Amino acid sequence: MTRHAKRLRIAGLSVLQIVVAALVLLPFFWMLSVSFKPATEAFAIPAELWPRNPTLENYVLALRPEFRRYFLNSMIVSGATLAITIPLGLLAAYSLSRFQYRILSVFLAMVVLAQFFPAGAMIIPIYKIVRSAGLLDTYASLIIAYITVTLPVAIWMMRGFLMRVPRTLEEAAAIDGASPLRAFVDIVIPLARPGIVATSVFVLIVTWQEFLFALSFTSSKEMRTLPVGMNDYIGQYGVRYGELMASSVMISVPVIAVFFFLQRQFVAGLTAGAVKG
Amino acid sequence: MRSSKRNSELWIAFGFMMPAAILVSVLMYWPMVDTFRESLFASSFINPTPEYVGFETYRRILADPVFWQILRNSVVWTMGVVLLQNVVGFFIALLLNQQLPGQGILRSLVLLPWVLPGVVVAILWRFMYDPQLGLVNSFLMRFGAIDRGIGWLAEPSIAMAAVIFVAFWKGFPFSTVIFLAALQNVDKEQIEAAKVDGAGPVRRLIDVVIPAIAPVAAVNVLLTTILTFNYFDIIYVLTRGGPLNKTAIFPTRIYEVGFGQFRFGEAAAYGTISVLVLVLVVASLMMFRFFGYKEVRS
Repeated sequence: MTRHAKRLRIAGLSVLQIVVAALVLLPFFWMLSVSFKPATEAFAIPAELWPRNPTLENYVLALRPEFRRYFLNSMIVSGATLAITIPLGLLAAYSLSRFQYRILSVFLAMVVLAQFFPAGAMIIPIYKIVRSAGLLDTYASLIIAYITVTLPVAIWMMRGFLMRVPRTLEEAAAIDGASPLRAFVDIVIPLARPGIVATSVFVLIVTWQEFLFALSFTSSKEMRTLPVGMNDYIGQYGVRYGELMASSVMISVPVIAVFFFLQRQFVAGLTAGAVKG
Repeated sequence: MRSSKRNSELWIAFGFMMPAAILVSVLMYWPMVDTFRESLFASSFINPTPEYVGFETYRRILADPVFWQILRNSVVWTMGVVLLQNVVGFFIALLLNQQLPGQGILRSLVLLPWVLPGVVVAILWRFMYDPQLGLVNSFLMRFGAIDRGIGWLAEPSIAMAAVIFVAFWKGFPFSTVIFLAALQNVDKEQIEAAKVDGAGPVRRLIDVVIPAIAPVAAVNVLLTTILTFNYFDIIYVLTRGGPLNKTAIFPTRIYEVGFGQFRFGEAAAYGTISVLVLVLVVASLMMFRFFGYKEVRS
């Protein structure tokens, strides 16, 4: 290829890069922009991309007590789901990655299949279980429901990581007289840490945005999570888009932050199994 | 000594598995079975005591034109999102796989829509689509493509396309990331060999790259099909299934019947039917040999 043609090719591809960046960033930028616009500008026709007189008033308004409550609820439910999913998932994943009993292959097949169960098809019976336990409109009801969303995926992801942790280290520890449990705690867990982190990020992203169960199982304002609270806002605050966008930004910041800090590990976790096959 | 070692191995193999196995069975497999049982009973807000009606609910649903509309919508929605997401996602992955300045940043940024909570994405696009205040209309008007705002979500003929685009926007990064990882694993020597044989970029794509990533593409299509078919947040927040049920799909219908009207039996019947439809869809994908199912995760 001549130098000229090469340059032309790079220029063409750079234009495409800009198109992709715009596709991703324009709506996102618009959300940020409107969140900083005073009410008068948010209603300007036609819409302007930049805020003329940026203000924080939308954020001040959006940080009303109920929003702080939703935030707390979301943190509690996501945190508790994570705290249950990861240990139980790790134990099961270890068992599935190291032993060959037939019942374990049955369980593995169950886990794979369960990942694809539609929440919509399970929601009525889970609702009834939760209701008969007197747990409707509590954190527990959501944590129970979220485990159905996270546990099978978490087992599957962590099993993928553990398969790549070589067994020889555990065998060496066994020769040195360490019990299998000790070897698991001292050797396997530290080596599987990147996998545990990647899985945790995934679980957090999923539970932070879960909507269907939270909408169906909570009825009081005190128990609403952020996504459901946001959905209520549409009805209550209608077209007060500045506030809606400010709340949206604040909901998104935690997941975006976690994601960008742990991105490398997370993408590795997401793609490893699907690609290596 | 031998047997105690064997005992502790058994203890770890089964003891470690047990808590998760119990939870998955009780919270997932039992409800899947119970949904079907539930669908044979009828109850409503006025008559809360369930009464056994056999397959009567199914008969009623199949005779209801709304059901057929929802079935059609679900297929259109799923196929639209899956095709758009994977085809565009693949081409964006090809672009991100080139040696270009700024690629590192773009590869990170591109994941942004996928990380945003679904409800946030939906609210953002409600606003983007707003007939008066939205960015979409004001762009189109500025370039003279239209002379008055379009109610993208209110117009029965375009609402489905509008919600499909939003799901595509949120979902394509997932396909792109998986495709990108697959492209980086394609054997460089094969590409060089094809180059030496005089194959142009398009030939190399068709003869070398696409066959090499076909299994990953199959996994991608399968995963996005299942996730899209079951996706609730975006449609519910954007349109609630409206206008005139034009964007109603199984999950929104199940929610509406179950928690809007408290007709649990009917909601459970819709749930059972949706599982059957999904199984049929996945089975037909497999028949197209679109299936390289080895290690899959959602």
